[in-house]
Amino acid sequence: MHEVFEHTADLGLRVTAPSLDALLAEAAAGLFEIIAGDLGQIRPREVRSFAIDGTDPVYLLLDWMGELHAAFEIDRLLLCEFAVAVHERGLTATARGEPYDPAVHRLAHEIKAITQHELDVHQTPAGWEATLIVDI
Amino acid sequence: MTDITTSDRTFTGPLERVDECCYRIPKSYKPGMLVDGLIFADERMIPQLRSDRAPEQVANVAFLPGIQTASLAMPDIHWGYGFCIGGVCATDPAVGGVVSPGGVGYDINCGVRLVRTNLTLADVQPILLQLVNQLIRDIPVGVGQGGNHIFSPAELRVLMQEGVGYLLGRGFATADDLACTEAEGCIADARPEYVSDRALARGNDQCGTVGAGNHFIEVQVVDRVEDPRAAAVLGLQAGQICVLIHSGSRGLGYQVCDDALRALRDAPAKYGLALPDRQLVCAPVESPEGQQYLGAMRAAANYAFCNRQLLMWQVREVFERVLGKPWHMLGMELVYDVAHNMAKIEEHTVGAARKPVCVHRKGATRAFPAGHPDIPERYREIGQPVIIPGDMGRASWVLLGGPRSMERSFGTTCHGAGRCLSRTAATKAAKGRNIREELQRSGVIARSRSREGLAEEQPLAYKDVDIVVDIVHRAGLSTKVARLKPLGVIKG
Repeated sequence: MHEVFEHTADLGLRVTAPSLDALLAEAAAGLFEIIAGDLGQIRPREVRSFAIDGTDPVYLLLDWMGELHAAFEIDRLLLCEFAVAVHERGLTATARGEPYDPAVHRLAHEIKAITQHELDVHQTPAGWEATLIVDI
Repeated sequence: MTDITTSDRTFTGPLERVDECCYRIPKSYKPGMLVDGLIFADERMIPQLRSDRAPEQVANVAFLPGIQTASLAMPDIHWGYGFCIGGVCATDPAVGGVVSPGGVGYDINCGVRLVRTNLTLADVQPILLQLVNQLIRDIPVGVGQGGNHIFSPAELRVLMQEGVGYLLGRGFATADDLACTEAEGCIADARPEYVSDRALARGNDQCGTVGAGNHFIEVQVVDRVEDPRAAAVLGLQAGQICVLIHSGSRGLGYQVCDDALRALRDAPAKYGLALPDRQLVCAPVESPEGQQYLGAMRAAANYAFCNRQLLMWQVREVFERVLGKPWHMLGMELVYDVAHNMAKIEEHTVGAARKPVCVHRKGATRAFPAGHPDIPERYREIGQPVIIPGDMGRASWVLLGGPRSMERSFGTTCHGAGRCLSRTAATKAAKGRNIREELQRSGVIARSRSREGLAEEQPLAYKDVDIVVDIVHRAGLSTKVARLKPLGVIKG
């Protein structure tokens, strides 16, 4: 589950999930909802693979979000389905989506960056929770 | 996606009245603060000031090693990330003072430029709709919009080294444009070689694009002149049409900041820094990491000057197309271009000493007083022009660097109205309304590429710029010259 929380200048994203794998996939969906509004308009026609090194869950989340953001910013790729597997040295992931087409897709926000302000990932009795703020 | 409101995001700490325009957060508020926090505000703003976490961020910045005098904030203060928006911090490199990328922000050298014309309201009113429609057709604005100018990595490196001078050579600028840009459109000691390939990839087609968020191009009319002598020097008079351009270093600059934050992950351990917020990560100015960031930041700043120059050039071309005259016949001269997200090494007097300090301005504008050598010669006798965008429904202002800016704020003033509603709250407030029609009824033609653009940036999302400007005027940080009213705006 993910939800946007209020931040005066920008947008905050709070994510909960039963596992770290699911948390990272859910955060990715939240990121692209901020960019595109409705993920339903994105068709899962292409697959992109990711591999990120790191053991600190906070930086793993930050770097994962950074790679996804770059996929949109540089390759104009809109992504909608995510599968993440965390291992002892980092994560591997696949994401499905399609190139941005102004005739097909409506965009909502330009994200400048994923900030580290109040960035947090921690375990809860029910699983995992993450908080991040994106710069709009 | 659901929206939630959090109730713990207010400030309940001390705000001690220093004078009618300034409040203090004493350094006793939090162990680790090296100096007081000082916020320029008056009593009208206190409820708003306490409504978010920005004052907490002012206190957090007071932890930065080498900070001088106080952690400062301008009256357009609101919650940012790391630094508050409206935050100012000067550090002394000679005593291990740090540079913090979060003290500049992702949008390095986000800034504004004002272009005057020789047109009057009567000239433009009949063609205003056509003009605004042409602006949004011809000028790239919004998410996912590539620009009309593509630069190769090699070209980008020269552009980042030479700033607007590079565009002069390419025929997209004049010598007068350079003269009327802060630092003549080129910050010295830029190090493009420190800008990553990913930043270059993000920036190759974005020079000359507006972007989204709070960026815009606005057609305005001079509503009121408060200082006729200064207005005459700036070439401004009541009833005159101007164009205000607000944008920054686009994806290239955002990536430079992101890369720096990544490179500095180990800096707190290496340099023994105890910081209350991860986003405040920093390194001594004189360290290899500090110098690398400053070199890349200056390169991104020069890209931003070029972005606004190319935007202005495209605005001139649109006016030419719509009005059927060359832009110089329309008197479309640059009044001034000024940055509001930057870290600069400047000479300041601190206590009894005159010394170089690293001044971070995060959503704050340099505002040097009359006579300062860094002001273009044509404006030196009146003071540095400062351009304050308000919101798209009310007003913007032209100010000058004030007589007390050097002693009170390291030569700094506000940068805008400052948000008072979050984006989610503004969106909720826009439900069931048509912002575009509301603006049209109040005489402003607004065009946006997205629904979110107008809802989140609606006038009520911002503080009243007249109050913000009134405070910096009374505090002596800057002085009023002219108030401008919006007529037409394009946004992302």
